[in-house]
Amino acid sequence: MNKQQLSRRAFLKLAAASSSGVALAGIGPLRNIAAAQDTVELTFGRHWEAAFRPRQAEYDEGFMERHPDIKINITYNTWADHNNVVPAWAAAGTLPDIIYVHGSRATPWAHEGIIIDIHDIVSADEEFNVDGMWEESVRLYRVNGRIHALPYDHGPIILGYNKDMFDAAGMDYPAEDWTMEDMAAAAVELTDPDMGVWGWDGQLDLGNGGGGFFVGAWGGQTMNDDETAMSVDTPEVREALNHWYNLIHEAGAAPSGTESEAFPNQNPFRSGACAMGHIATWSTPSMRALANFEWDVAPTPMGADGTRSTGAFGSGYGITPTSDKPDVAWTYLREYLSLDGMIFMWSLSGRGSPARPEGLEVWLNSDPAPPSGRYFLEAMFDYAVTGPPFQSLAAAQVSNILGREAGLLRLGETSVDAAIAAITEEGNAALDEVADDM
Amino acid sequence: MLRRYFPAISASARREERIFYLFILPWLIGLVVFNAGPVLGMLGLSFTDWRISLDNLQFIGLDNYAKLVDDPIFWVSVGNTLYIVVGRVVFGTAFALFLAILLNQKVPGIPFFRAVYYLPTVTAGVAVALVWIWIFNPRLGILNYSLKQIGITGPPWIYSSTWVKPSLILMSLFQVGPNMIILLAGLQGVPKELYESAEIDGAGNWAKFRNVTLPMLSPVLFFVIIISVVSSFQNFTEIRVMTEGGPGESSNVLIWYLWENAFIFLQLGVAAAVAWIMFVILMALTGLQFRLGRRWVFYEA
Amino acid sequence: MKKAPLAKRKKGEAWRKTIKGRRAIAILITFALLIPIGIIFVMPFIVMVSTALKPLNQVFAFPPRLIPETPQWQNFPDGWYGYGYVDFTTCTWNSLKITVNNIIGNLVSCTLAAYAFARLKARGKNLLFAIVLATMLLPNEALVVPQYVLFNRFGWLDTHLPLMVPPWFGWPFFIFLLRQFFMTIPEELIDAAKIDGAGHARILLQIFVPLSKPALATLAIFAFIGNWNSFFGPLLYLRSPDVQTLPVCLVQYQGAYGNTDWHLMMAVATIAVIPVLLIFIFGQRYFVEGIATSGVKG
Repeated sequence: MNKQQLSRRAFLKLAAASSSGVALAGIGPLRNIAAAQDTVELTFGRHWEAAFRPRQAEYDEGFMERHPDIKINITYNTWADHNNVVPAWAAAGTLPDIIYVHGSRATPWAHEGIIIDIHDIVSADEEFNVDGMWEESVRLYRVNGRIHALPYDHGPIILGYNKDMFDAAGMDYPAEDWTMEDMAAAAVELTDPDMGVWGWDGQLDLGNGGGGFFVGAWGGQTMNDDETAMSVDTPEVREALNHWYNLIHEAGAAPSGTESEAFPNQNPFRSGACAMGHIATWSTPSMRALANFEWDVAPTPMGADGTRSTGAFGSGYGITPTSDKPDVAWTYLREYLSLDGMIFMWSLSGRGSPARPEGLEVWLNSDPAPPSGRYFLEAMFDYAVTGPPFQSLAAAQVSNILGREAGLLRLGETSVDAAIAAITEEGNAALDEVADDM
Repeated sequence: MLRRYFPAISASARREERIFYLFILPWLIGLVVFNAGPVLGMLGLSFTDWRISLDNLQFIGLDNYAKLVDDPIFWVSVGNTLYIVVGRVVFGTAFALFLAILLNQKVPGIPFFRAVYYLPTVTAGVAVALVWIWIFNPRLGILNYSLKQIGITGPPWIYSSTWVKPSLILMSLFQVGPNMIILLAGLQGVPKELYESAEIDGAGNWAKFRNVTLPMLSPVLFFVIIISVVSSFQNFTEIRVMTEGGPGESSNVLIWYLWENAFIFLQLGVAAAVAWIMFVILMALTGLQFRLGRRWVFYEA
Repeated sequence: MKKAPLAKRKKGEAWRKTIKGRRAIAILITFALLIPIGIIFVMPFIVMVSTALKPLNQVFAFPPRLIPETPQWQNFPDGWYGYGYVDFTTCTWNSLKITVNNIIGNLVSCTLAAYAFARLKARGKNLLFAIVLATMLLPNEALVVPQYVLFNRFGWLDTHLPLMVPPWFGWPFFIFLLRQFFMTIPEELIDAAKIDGAGHARILLQIFVPLSKPALATLAIFAFIGNWNSFFGPLLYLRSPDVQTLPVCLVQYQGAYGNTDWHLMMAVATIAVIPVLLIFIFGQRYFVEGIATSGVKG
């Protein structure tokens, strides 16, 4: 009975594996072979939802075939809990060899000794082409000028639009030479309160990447370049925030914070109730899975003077100080984060946007990539800048403040002036407090 | 001082004392092995600059506590916590007692209703995010939809600084399952004879409730109130899943403030200080309740 | 409207005064309250089941609909299968093992301690009981890291020991709960037993335990739900796939940036709630038995 159930399960596993194109080599037998030889175990702490694990397993099986002396052991955290589990691991000294590092965590984790300085390992490896990665993506993990982790995914934020809604209104799709004013005018035109539809989704965001999209066109920045002070108290940022605030609360061309919560999962653009919203490479898979309409992307609209700007962000992997075999860990990462590794893992699946230009080009043919996905590539080449805060030890506090005030602006519970004052005062206080620790 | 706790006693009393200590021995061992270390560790760590690593800690005296006193958001979170605790305890206990009495009625189908009323407690963890869309959603939620049917425009609930705290209190009423069950068990334990003799004395429903049910239930009710205060202080899931302390800081309660400092800002020393402040506040409140409890709680022994 | 004839009204009043009449009215009022509140309370469950039966792209469809167009029964086997990389059978088995162990452990250790605190006299008792209460008052979120460090020192990580051993050493909440119930048991019963020469072990087993069935059943249900749904501890303490518990396996469907298989997650969550409901419905018998016993002797 028991045996039968087992074999039935094994059969189902194989059937599913073959149907999704996964190599048939099961993990079980491989593990046994590995144990028989003198092997080292490489441990991972990362997140992937269940749906993406077959891909990861397929990659790892291939890796273990190439390196029969290395055995891979993964601990999966959820995305939501990874950042909470890692500090506990670090405090107890139980970190795995390799951990997933969100771009916003690289600086504090490097500072707290959760990830090690891999600058010399990376530069000593002549075959590993670190210069072939977007410089903007590597910058996320460079702490005090030295590389502490490497990106696998990096992408920009550009304009997304609902083709069906533009078609229904008989309007032209967003053009390459659109300015923010053009976008606002279209948003007003597409809004129809009786139908419960809006032109823009109102998801004002000032955090990593969002700041570049929402204030960059006016020439503004949320923080100064080295992230030692907030820079929102400028005419440019004020003008930008007034633009978006008025579009929501005066023109009514976007759902307010309260109204947009009416959309499950807090994404009225994806729900199909708004014609336009900002969209990043990392949100394309869920768009593909959940959106029930035709959609595409366009370049981030320009400022009145032709300034084009947006933010980009991403994630990577680092090696921990607990690891007694950083060389073995590097053996894995150098392949995983090579162009081939990236293409296999993310370009073909579309689950991430590779941090290498060639990888992103291949990604454009994946299922989640929209028809005009080349605009993502263009943004990376031409105008996307990695979005603060990520270099300061107080990045998490500053993110918090920016997120809170953007939320209050969307709700209409604060004014642009009050938000700017609060961000400046509290943000600078948080930054000053860590100024000596950096 | 020791004399006060350990006065001289007789031989039979000493035997009873030995049995007492024998019976609580497992708990005592658990206390020393599993709790003492972490708890005292937390006290010590609250005086250090602990961020993550436990090596090279600097003793910084009361700096973490001073930092909290200076932080306006800390005081906002103290205020928010007290608001929500008072609301949850008062309405939650009253509602739990009301439901327990309802479910203690001898009407057909009561086991079914008990299960139904307990469902939100069971399903809380997994379905929470989706459920509130259905209930609290300002536009499409069942709550505002129902209000609309009777001509009232519902508030924006958790999406407004004014409404978020009342909403959290209202939400907590769905989670009264455990308290309801405890009170139900308490009601079931009231000997029938007491009601019968009260009826012979000509007592009406209210008099029976006042003179029989409440005194007999008082130890359990006391427990429920103490536990409600504690769990209201420590309730974390809804804040994390739904509001993350917002909008603004309007639902930033102490436990969220603690979590944010520990796991988002990586200031574990500060978080340890918050934990101790929460502990002291709760100790004071619980001590006060025990003192007040002497006046209204009726014990057999 | 015409008033009913006096005789008839009198008859009505008389009927209301009869035991049968009063009972019928009471039942009516009870139902009038039970049903509407019940409908609201059943919502979370309905939403969960409804989501479990939708295709993914309908989960957040706008406007939301409670009844799926075509129920996707396939979500249940698909959810359980976990893309071949989340082993729900093993997770469920682990959760069951831990939960049953913890219920028994809590029942034994907490009953002993609660009896001692409720009915035995000893020097230092009040101080110790204050410590029981105090350990309840510390926020668990603050103890996560130190406790993790401790279990690492014990070498217990990636085993079920950090989850299965502590319940045998009492839990303050349950000790306090049982103590409150034990304190309501009439003193005369103990005196009578003492005259019969019964020791404390016998008094506990033969008088307190049978009389406290509702309380013990309550404890068992709480322990079941608490352990069955326990999330952060298992997440932190357990790493290997073969030791994971059900709630941890469940969230493996959650991904970043909206990449969550809500439909599959809710399908497994629905399956996971069934044992809790069964235990609850089954456990209710003991509430009823509880009255019967204490009623006779009270």
